[in-house]
Amino acid sequence: MAPDRAVAAQARPEQEFFCFRVGDLRLGVPSENVLEVFRAGLLTPLPRTPSFIMGVTGHRGEVLPVVDLLRFLSKGEARIGPRTRLFVGITGSIVAGVVADTVLGLRRIPVADILPPPLGGDAAAEHLLGVVPGASPQDSINLLNFSKLLQTARQRAVAR
Amino acid sequence: MNDEHVVEPQEQDVDILFFEIGAGLFGTDASQVLRIDRSLPEDITLPELGPLHRGNRALVFDTPEGEGHLKVDTVRGVRSIPVTQLRRMPPTAGAAPYAVGVCLDEAHTVLLIDLVETARTQGTQGRH
Repeated sequence: MAPDRAVAAQARPEQEFFCFRVGDLRLGVPSENVLEVFRAGLLTPLPRTPSFIMGVTGHRGEVLPVVDLLRFLSKGEARIGPRTRLFVGITGSIVAGVVADTVLGLRRIPVADILPPPLGGDAAAEHLLGVVPGASPQDSINLLNFSKLLQTARQRAVAR
Repeated sequence: MNDEHVVEPQEQDVDILFFEIGAGLFGTDASQVLRIDRSLPEDITLPELGPLHRGNRALVFDTPEGEGHLKVDTVRGVRSIPVTQLRRMPPTAGAAPYAVGVCLDEAHTVLLIDLVETARTQGTQGRH
């Protein structure tokens, strides 16, 4: 059976995404950009950071800046509650914690099902790989170009 | 027979002075602090760290221009912290230059403040 699956995968290539919800958004990040998920603890706010940096948190002996994607994408503001999770996102040498209200899990998405980001969209569109449509607009998943997003976040933070 | 005690190498510790501004707890390298004084109205304030409750105390430190005075609410005391619990601020956080690092204190992370840098950041504000 396994060879059949391999053939099927070749015929219909898939990409794995870590999917989560934050605010009203359902987002996906390539799974290779995600190290782990943990419950959000206490954040230490920082002076003069960009608004999308909520502060820092200690995790496994490291200090992680915590990114609010809603603020970064100009889609509102994330809130930390008892059920909030942080996932550790990484690209190259950049590591950050990212706020997720609900973890939807790892999903293998056929590449053919990924629609291009909307043309002429808002600032969020430039950080999208594409969109996976759902039964309703609320069910669609926006797939993030997470490497580009983290690099932009660092540039904005450091350039200030 | 040699009665001299062999001194075991100690884990390197740093004395951190903890203080409060408003509801926030912060730390600084205690060796920067010359003394704790009563504050004066012209002393340096850091509103970005939170609003002062009373700000009756000032941490006095040395700068190239003379003494600097940072207004604080409460001094919590000095504790020796192993360097293994201290971390530099990740540059990606883009924090103010005086926010130099973090002390990992069990579940909490305490922001570490470079006092001399606060004086540079504040420019002409403050008592020197």
